[in-house]
Amino acid sequence: MIVCIAVVGHQNNPLYLQSFTEADDALKLHHIVHCSLDVIDERVNNPKKTGPTLNETFLGLLYPTENYKVYGYLTNTKVKFILVTTDLDVRDADVRNFFRRFHSAYVDAVSNPFHVPGKKITSRTFAERVSTIVKSFGLSTAV
Amino acid sequence: MVGREVSESCVDSMIIEMVSSYCDRFCSAKPELAARRIEAIGYQVGLQLSERYTMERPRFSDHLEAIKFICKDFWSELFKKQIDNLKTNHRGTFVLQDNRFRWLTRMSIDPSETNANTSDDPSVATTESKSAQSASMHLYFPCGIIRGALTNLGIPCAVSADMSNLPACSFVVRIKA
Repeated sequence: MIVCIAVVGHQNNPLYLQSFTEADDALKLHHIVHCSLDVIDERVNNPKKTGPTLNETFLGLLYPTENYKVYGYLTNTKVKFILVTTDLDVRDADVRNFFRRFHSAYVDAVSNPFHVPGKKITSRTFAERVSTIVKSFGLSTAV
Repeated sequence: MVGREVSESCVDSMIIEMVSSYCDRFCSAKPELAARRIEAIGYQVGLQLSERYTMERPRFSDHLEAIKFICKDFWSELFKKQIDNLKTNHRGTFVLQDNRFRWLTRMSIDPSETNANTSDDPSVATTESKSAQSASMHLYFPCGIIRGALTNLGIPCAVSADMSNLPACSFVVRIKA
């Protein structure tokens, strides 16, 4: 299950941050997202380690914690997407697929003429679309 | 993904109307302000388009790659053709030349003016520069688009346009260090 999803701008400013848990642990999840920014920076600035996946938008597993796995994605426009999940056996293809769909939702959201670039995404349509994508992520893993 | 199409004449009319609104109504007293406003609209369009068109492609490793993207894929998406010629001095200046820029193909400068230009009448020179000036107002929008796209890709730059003989035109991109 995806517990948190974040969009972070090119100056590491939060653009969208949403957790999907019943429990009151939003702060903890946001902390995890915050920590992962350093990992992304490291990946991007020292590309030797990533080898053949050089310059790919999908950054793969950023780091595993005891309860969560954190995945990252960096667009051409230096916007970062961060995904926190509780599933411990996640297939890369599923995460890629998720980010691809999430990216198109994001692009549609920022193409809204009323969206101010660099400001938080407040669109309700975007939030609904994201929660649909998040829900379907669990399903595709089950199939 | 199904390619979505836009009527070319509608886009043409809209740009012409936008330019004339800003030049003649909103900012008629200050042509520089009108130019800046039109450029700003282009900038936002460029930001949004670059976001969309760079989906599903690896990140660019250097400036040249990003400029090439603008010349090839970005231009093809906008105008169904690529930039015809790209020149660079390898010090951060790029010249993108389009031999038949779509938004200028319907534009012509009154031939009577150019004929009259042979005579050495000082008043003719001003009318000629006036029509050239109003044509150049239409280039602030594409300049803004290029600047917006490059800025969004992490390359702050200044873009100016030069049109010596219609409908060819060239865009000069200067990357800010």
